[in-house]
Amino acid sequence: MTRFDRRALLAGAAALPLAGMLPRAASAQRGALNYWHHFTSTTEFKGLERVMALFKQRFPDINVTQENIPNPEYMAKMTAAVVANARPDTGMVSTERSKDLVAMRALVDIDSRVRGWSRFAEYSGDAWAGASVDNKIYGIPAFTFVNWMYYRKDWFAEAGIAPPKTLADFQAAAIKLTDPSKNRFGFSMRGGAGGFSFVLDMMESFGSPIVVNGKPAMDRAKAIEAVTFYAELHTKHKAVPPSAPNDSFRQIMEAFKTGQTAMVMHHTGSLTEIRDAMKPEQWGTVMMPAGPAAHIARVSYLYNGVMNPRNVDAGFSWITYWAEPDPALAFLEETGYFPSSPRVASDPRIAGNPIYAAATETLKIGRLPVNFVGGAGWSEQVVLPEFQKVLVGRATPAQAVDAMMKGLEAAVN
Amino acid sequence: MTALSEARLGDGDRRVRRVPHVRLGALGRLSERRGWAWLLLLPSLVMILAIILYPTGYGLWLGLHEMRLTRPDRDGFVGLKHFIAIADDPIFWLSLRNTLVWVVGSVVGELALGLAAALVLNKDLPGFKLAAALVLLPWFLPNVVAGNIWAMMLDPRLGVINDVLVRMGVLTTYRAWFAEPDLALAAAMAVEIWHGFPFFALLLLAALKAIPQDLYEAAACDGAKAWDQFVHVTLPQLRMIIVASVVLRVISLVNSPEILLILTGGGPGRSTQVLSLYAFLKAYKEFNFGYASALATVMFLLLMLFSWAYVRLSNVMRD
Repeated sequence: MTRFDRRALLAGAAALPLAGMLPRAASAQRGALNYWHHFTSTTEFKGLERVMALFKQRFPDINVTQENIPNPEYMAKMTAAVVANARPDTGMVSTERSKDLVAMRALVDIDSRVRGWSRFAEYSGDAWAGASVDNKIYGIPAFTFVNWMYYRKDWFAEAGIAPPKTLADFQAAAIKLTDPSKNRFGFSMRGGAGGFSFVLDMMESFGSPIVVNGKPAMDRAKAIEAVTFYAELHTKHKAVPPSAPNDSFRQIMEAFKTGQTAMVMHHTGSLTEIRDAMKPEQWGTVMMPAGPAAHIARVSYLYNGVMNPRNVDAGFSWITYWAEPDPALAFLEETGYFPSSPRVASDPRIAGNPIYAAATETLKIGRLPVNFVGGAGWSEQVVLPEFQKVLVGRATPAQAVDAMMKGLEAAVN
Repeated sequence: MTALSEARLGDGDRRVRRVPHVRLGALGRLSERRGWAWLLLLPSLVMILAIILYPTGYGLWLGLHEMRLTRPDRDGFVGLKHFIAIADDPIFWLSLRNTLVWVVGSVVGELALGLAAALVLNKDLPGFKLAAALVLLPWFLPNVVAGNIWAMMLDPRLGVINDVLVRMGVLTTYRAWFAEPDLALAAAMAVEIWHGFPFFALLLLAALKAIPQDLYEAAACDGAKAWDQFVHVTLPQLRMIIVASVVLRVISLVNSPEILLILTGGGPGRSTQVLSLYAFLKAYKEFNFGYASALATVMFLLLMLFSWAYVRLSNVMRD
């Protein structure tokens, strides 16, 4: 009790300078709730507006206010909100962040409500695993991001090669399609913010696990092999734009859309952006290439969770509503984001559309992203900068992997 | 209530003048006491305590504690543990070195450009008032906005800067300014100099206006040329304001990671990671507030030391 009181005091004290940074605090009115999210594109906002409008029809007494927090600042704002005890009623929770959010007590335990929910059985174990800690569920899957690869169909046809199925094919295609004289590169490498996820994918593709049963489990030799393979696309083969060490989401997408790169790895969430920017004959989608040891393609659920215990009933109605067929399909139409429910995803409007074929196939083998307490900090503060060092020639793959393993020990223990 | 007081008019004069006076109320009597001044200061003292001393003290105190939001079971007093870890942390030393380069380079560039702008704008030529307002524009932009504008302008594939430099023949191909570790900090510094030089320009221009013209006339009579007048009249007259503005700017730069956060995120490979950014990332990416506070404490002490040494060495306080 003493610890709790002191911590509450600490939290309140720390909150004072931070409170001013926060978006409007959650409303205490019954039937009114706010929702923090990190949608950015106009299509996402359109999708959100449609879901909110449909929700309003179903629950006219609950007023939802959406508040946008840019994704890079989401955890900073959430941290400040937790410390200031000004959490929103509900909020978006990505798989990678769920354990950290539970650990910092930002999410309300809704386990018993979820297990009693009529749609609970529709979902696979993986869908719940991404938002579970110690077998307790803290979120409802709102929609699914399926990692896949966009490729230049026309360039591949010109070169007479097929879209890659393995990482070896992928490397060969990236090299073959690179032509600096035309300012063309084979692959949009994300070496800047957010790029760590592909480094982790490569490691698992080459057979190195990251964390097993809460313990560091990296295989040094395989991780070095993976980092070498991936970094050499830049350092040796020059098959990625020279800006790769600093390129984040916006840069890799612009490079692909403006005809600088032949392939880009991202998830289904970019579908509408690419569809709107390019001609249908220019691009296609394909599953993530399989590695020598494993076929790694992430299927990550974006969850909605209840964050403030004072308005759980309304909050639970809101977050479960996202799983209903009407809002899920409305959101898909606006954004291209897959419904979280397999039952809704089997709707003919999705299953019968060839553009979604790669995503549908990926759903059969997809894995959740690497997720453990401390994982977000380790990925962003150790994995990414160490990989960047390899890209810019300031570390060897072995040195980078050693630093990653040391950092992983510190993060997990 | 009015009453009468008696006062003697002077030595030897036995007449008494009756002087009306106001009988003091409780507040009036209080104002006659020695503690009245402290009472008047009390609101300000409370404000200072609440918004300056308390957060500062709390930050120092937090640096002596473990506070990781994702490991609440480990919270508690840890003494100097974080400070010992900092001394052995290679990222801290790298960040410190980057901070020195970043701050010295930025301040020197901003001061030089600000001084040049102030000297030009001090000429009182037609249209210079408008020019003075335009020069201040970068300073009005929030760091975040300035950072994003320059991120787009320096973009390796769409940025206008690359396009202009290639058209001028300065570059043969587009350059990825923030992807090369040797170039990234310099490119970010150029953005910071653009953003910060109006601060110096404004202060120095005000100081230039205050220099008496007589000094220049006297120097001219003694045969001093323009350069001599600048070295022996202008600079000494500006010394106080230069010292003060440099101290303020150094403090501001050391504490503000926004521009670097937007342009590079500290990369590639931590080549642009400065101390404030390191502390920010520790707090908001790793949720390690104890270690981040210890880093902030070290920054605080280094800034105190710098300010004291710089003011002392510049001899400003002796004037």
